Amino acid sequence: MPAVEPMTVKDHSSADDPTLVRAAQQGDMIAFEELVARHRDKIYARAFSMMRNEDEAVDLSQEAWVKGWQRLKQFQGESSFGTWLTRIVINLCLDQLRKQKRQRTESIEAMSEESGGVERQMPVVTPNPTAGLERRELRQRIDRALNQLSHEHRTALVLHEFEEMEYKEIAKTMGCSIGTVMSRLFYARRKMAALLGDPKKQDLL
Amino acid sequence: MDLDSQLKLQASLDGELPEAEAREVANWLARDREAAALHTELRNTRQALVGFEIGVELPESREFFWSKIQREIHRLEPAELAPRPVPWFARLRRVLVPAAGVAFLLVAGLLTLNPAGQPASEMETADSGAFTYRDDAAGTTLVWLSYPAESEVANNSELDTIE
Repeated sequence: MPAVEPMTVKDHSSADDPTLVRAAQQGDMIAFEELVARHRDKIYARAFSMMRNEDEAVDLSQEAWVKGWQRLKQFQGESSFGTWLTRIVINLCLDQLRKQKRQRTESIEAMSEESGGVERQMPVVTPNPTAGLERRELRQRIDRALNQLSHEHRTALVLHEFEEMEYKEIAKTMGCSIGTVMSRLFYARRKMAALLGDPKKQDLL
Repeated sequence: MDLDSQLKLQASLDGELPEAEAREVANWLARDREAAALHTELRNTRQALVGFEIGVELPESREFFWSKIQREIHRLEPAELAPRPVPWFARLRRVLVPAAGVAFLLVAGLLTLNPAGQPASEMETADSGAFTYRDDAAGTTLVWLSYPAESEVANNSELDTIE
């Protein structure tokens, strides 16, 4: 790899991600700080979507950045830097969720997810319950609904809708079959539809 | 509608079906109102989530968050890069263990070597009537005891003679 000229503070703020990554790979921590500043909200948002807990999301996103620094030399630029780091935080969140699952008794919901939950029998929600809602109200409803999903259902939904992964990729990331991904995604969407349609149901489902 | 059909419907929405199957689903949706309603619901849910993460902000200032990351990086890096001080007993052990090994090998070598050309095994007869066979190479010693002991028989013969 060719040597990189030392960057000035002004250079850092105006440089693009690949330039900052190259500088950081040479040990330039100011370049890495600039990358953190640019992507920290997105990394935190992904951690929060998965964990639904602010403190855990902050801790895991911080851990992801530290791991990112340690593994920076392995980053070859096949994807964007933001995508690469997002995958790191997703894996950390999955590890954390697995640990938590081992520590608690499996919920009835988790047990029923493979055999088919109540979501499959629920009536179809029409018309579109979110049509005409203000952005703030919609966000609050989605927040509450995501809290109601099991972590397996929520993870499948987050990876598909926010990370835009294909079924095959989600299966690999979650360590399950494509069929399981499809059913988890289906139950997650059906439950979300019911919860978004009738917020009063949020404690019942 | 069974689960397989429902999942196929969803797969068509997500663009995960091959073209031929996607056309089949499109035809099915055109003639089945229940399937069409479910398809619409799934699509609405998907659309509601678009852009949901936009605007989510880390609840810590840039400086504070970076300081935590930086501290953690510095905490981990010296442990990996700089060699840790070695305590005196560990340094002593580094010398003594190989030295003890060499000494052991030397002693073992001296014991197994037979420089005087002595036989590797020998048999002795003890006064008490015991025969001892020692094999140095095999490291074994065998002892035969005769009963009554030969010396005892001799003594008894002497006594008989006296009588």
